[in-house]
Amino acid sequence: MSREREISNRYASFQKRIRVAAILVSAAVLILVLRLWALQILEGDRLLQLSLNNRLRLRPVEAPRGLILDRNGELMVENLASFDLYATPEDMSDIEDTMRRLAEILQSSPDELRQRVSQGQGSQLEPVLLRKGVDERIVAAIEEHKIDLPGVSLRVRPVRTYPNGGSAASLLGYVAEVSRTQLKSKEFRDFRPGETMGQAGIERRYDAFIRGVDGGEQVEVNALGKVSRPIQQVEPQSGFNLHLTLDNRLQRVAEEALQGRSGALIAVHPSTGEILAMVSQPSYDPNQFSQRMTPDQWRKLTGDPHHPMQNKGLQGQYAPGSIFKLVTALAALEKGSITPETKFSCDGAFSLGSHLFHDWKKGGHGTLDLRQAIANSCNIYFYNTALKAGIGEITRVAGELGLGAPSGLGLSGEARGIIPPKPTGPPEAGGWYPGNTVMAGIGQGMVTVTPMQAVMMVSAIANGGSLYRPWVVRKVETLDREMIEEYGSELVRKVNIDPDNLAIVREGMQAVVSEGTGGRAKIPGLRVAGKTGTAQVVENKKNGSQRGDQRDNAWFEAFAPADNPQIAIAVVVEHGGFGGQVAAPIAKSLLEAWFKLPKEPRPARVAETEPAEGD
Amino acid sequence: MLTSRRVLPAFDWRLIAAAAGLAALSVLIIYSTSGMHASLFRRSLYLKQATWMVMGVFAMVLLCVVPYRTTWGLAYPLYAFLLGALLLVALIGRTGMGAQRWLSIGSFAFQPSEFMKLSLIILLARYFEDHKDELHTPRIFILPIILTLVPMAFVLRQPDLGTAIMLLLISTSILVVMGLKIRYLVLLGAAGAAVAPVLWHFLHDYQKNRVLVFIYPDMDPMGAGYHVAQSKIAVGSGGLIGKGWMAATQSQLNFLPENHTDFIFAGLAEQWGFIGSLGLLLVYAYLLSRGLRLAKDAHDLFTMVTSFGIVCMMAWQVVINVGMVTGIMPVVGIPLPLLSYGGSSMLMNMLAVGFLLNIQKHRYLY
Repeated sequence: MSREREISNRYASFQKRIRVAAILVSAAVLILVLRLWALQILEGDRLLQLSLNNRLRLRPVEAPRGLILDRNGELMVENLASFDLYATPEDMSDIEDTMRRLAEILQSSPDELRQRVSQGQGSQLEPVLLRKGVDERIVAAIEEHKIDLPGVSLRVRPVRTYPNGGSAASLLGYVAEVSRTQLKSKEFRDFRPGETMGQAGIERRYDAFIRGVDGGEQVEVNALGKVSRPIQQVEPQSGFNLHLTLDNRLQRVAEEALQGRSGALIAVHPSTGEILAMVSQPSYDPNQFSQRMTPDQWRKLTGDPHHPMQNKGLQGQYAPGSIFKLVTALAALEKGSITPETKFSCDGAFSLGSHLFHDWKKGGHGTLDLRQAIANSCNIYFYNTALKAGIGEITRVAGELGLGAPSGLGLSGEARGIIPPKPTGPPEAGGWYPGNTVMAGIGQGMVTVTPMQAVMMVSAIANGGSLYRPWVVRKVETLDREMIEEYGSELVRKVNIDPDNLAIVREGMQAVVSEGTGGRAKIPGLRVAGKTGTAQVVENKKNGSQRGDQRDNAWFEAFAPADNPQIAIAVVVEHGGFGGQVAAPIAKSLLEAWFKLPKEPRPARVAETEPAEGD
Repeated sequence: MLTSRRVLPAFDWRLIAAAAGLAALSVLIIYSTSGMHASLFRRSLYLKQATWMVMGVFAMVLLCVVPYRTTWGLAYPLYAFLLGALLLVALIGRTGMGAQRWLSIGSFAFQPSEFMKLSLIILLARYFEDHKDELHTPRIFILPIILTLVPMAFVLRQPDLGTAIMLLLISTSILVVMGLKIRYLVLLGAAGAAVAPVLWHFLHDYQKNRVLVFIYPDMDPMGAGYHVAQSKIAVGSGGLIGKGWMAATQSQLNFLPENHTDFIFAGLAEQWGFIGSLGLLLVYAYLLSRGLRLAKDAHDLFTMVTSFGIVCMMAWQVVINVGMVTGIMPVVGIPLPLLSYGGSSMLMNMLAVGFLLNIQKHRYLY
């Protein structure tokens, strides 16, 4: 082989390999193109979404909650602007210096602020909340020294405000951040941590209406989570306004009348069931919850033996005492075992077997008919009546009048109360003795009612036998007064009690005020019907160390005017003593106020005659 | 057979345009991906890259004037000089990004390892030209291997895994074309695998991580895997036609680190989508095909090996870089020729293209 040939052969083999290399390079480039096709065309949409998720964050802007107004349009719950103080450490050129200046304004220590910043810093380097709800002086000082405080910012937030403080607090409820345990439950799966919501009462029940729709600021963030610029703003939508049936003027009178006591008062319109006033004392200031509550405040609220957080009108279950005598009287009348003229003599004691039952009045009332017995609340008369009527009829009448079942107001935590069980067999088998019937007949023993049940019961007696569902929200409107939902009165049932018998009892109730135990509720020129009750307190005797706890619960229920009832009231004063002495004057002051108040044309009446259309 | 047109061919303007176009594109991408919240330094980088581009184009054109035989003569001194520079880097080099890679000359940082790639190509070309009659003897390949391993060791020590791999790939490609039997290559590979644990020991933790994350991508989505994940999001989110000029949010908002150096392709893919990416690959393909044609038509071993070596260097860099940005190659830190930010890289690649132009212009003169 010649040298020339050898060289040219070698060159040929080089060229062959270079050609192979060219093919390999082409193949590699083709693979890259395919890879790009896969990423950009096949997965492009998904990856574009990921890049948007990377880039955009929604910073929620809290919607102002709807207002709550009373029946006359008086503001009961509103929102005020609150300033929250935030720190963004990355924007601080000199953290030490900024913290020192800020601490001076806040009258706090720089160490504490630094600690807050380091605690609050999560995975995203979002601004850290330093202090919620700073006062105007601090806002002004921070605005003034803005240049010296880089990275310090104020954000405005609507804060739920209750201008009347503790007035109707347990009815209205309060607003607080959704709790950690709530977030875990399914019901709250749409809530995000830190979001506020109605936590009790009306605020809770109507939260979906009141809360509105949070807006948001879509912001672009960089890889560190730092906001680089706002993209678009979605305005928050204000929540709907609630118009209540409550009359704040009456509410104030009621609050005042019950001031310093522990107990409940409910006033309703007897022929519609709309609530005019609802008081539970002692109360608490729901404004505390709107700002961050201190553990101390919380302990104080929950540890209070008088349960200020409880709505006693709905959640408190009390022995009705003598107000239950109305039920006993009706049961006996219904059964035909007595007539209004039936007389029993009262010498102060009543023996049943080996047991001796006493009247509250030493020496007794002498001989009385039904009217006098109701007026004087004679125990002996009703022992006899209860035995004649039998527990079965008493239970039936109590059930007809709404006792033993929730009233249906719809606020959470409403108690059922207890009425004696219908005996199913002979007394021995059911464990029910005539003695129990005697006790139940005067509202002691196995009977408890809530003040709400009491007032609805007395309303049904007053209006001639219609048991209504109580209601407190009249209508729901948008900010522009567009109707969202309108509520009207709702009949639970026409009670299965002879109207004549109801009239007999009403007459007795008038006598209570005009000549009986309820004399302190007498108002010249107004025919008031009422019934006193003084219920023995049994359950609290165990921890009787608290002063006044052994005293009886004082009841009074009333309606007026007797012939055309416009208002029905139930008052219970825990450990108040005699109902006629303690509760009746409270009801009186309320009635006086109510009939003096100028009345505007009542939209609620319209709702009654023209039921709300549609949904 | 020789026409007068062929005796004095003009510059290959298309090749010049391709190279200069890529460099200009580099400036545009670096400019458009520096978000308004990037550091002042990052925002000024496009200007520096523009300076490098101008200098590079000058160097490229200037190299055409020098007959490549002059370079041939300089092959060994150049190699020796760069080896010395690498030694100096190891002793007094400037550290950046966790590696000691640069020599400061005034305000310029000079990265000898980058130029070593080109120097190694020229050296090997000269070596095989000198020993073209002994290519059938396997021992002729021993010295080239040593000449490759020495600078590789220096570069690996910096540590710069990417450049070390490039030196290895360039050299191996040339040796294979020069007739190194595949079985020897396998033998060498086996030997390499045997010392791999030792090399592994020399790797920095972050490099070990990158290799591991490539093998097990789910190992660390927020750490090293984050880089690849964000890079894929950037490329993919470009879709068919891209998000448009200045809209590469992945790079601008710094979700994608190294967005002006090793991951610059992502910025292009995000802004101009599949069409832009394809266009870029076509420009590279054109560049490579020009080089391969020169190698195939070469009349002497020096120009053949040089042009082939340059093609290999660029091809490997493009394939590995785009492969790593799109998540099918490990993240080893190899820049995209003419596109990634960096003065040394820009100059070296311009010189390489200049060399191709030179060979093209002078190939019939000798």
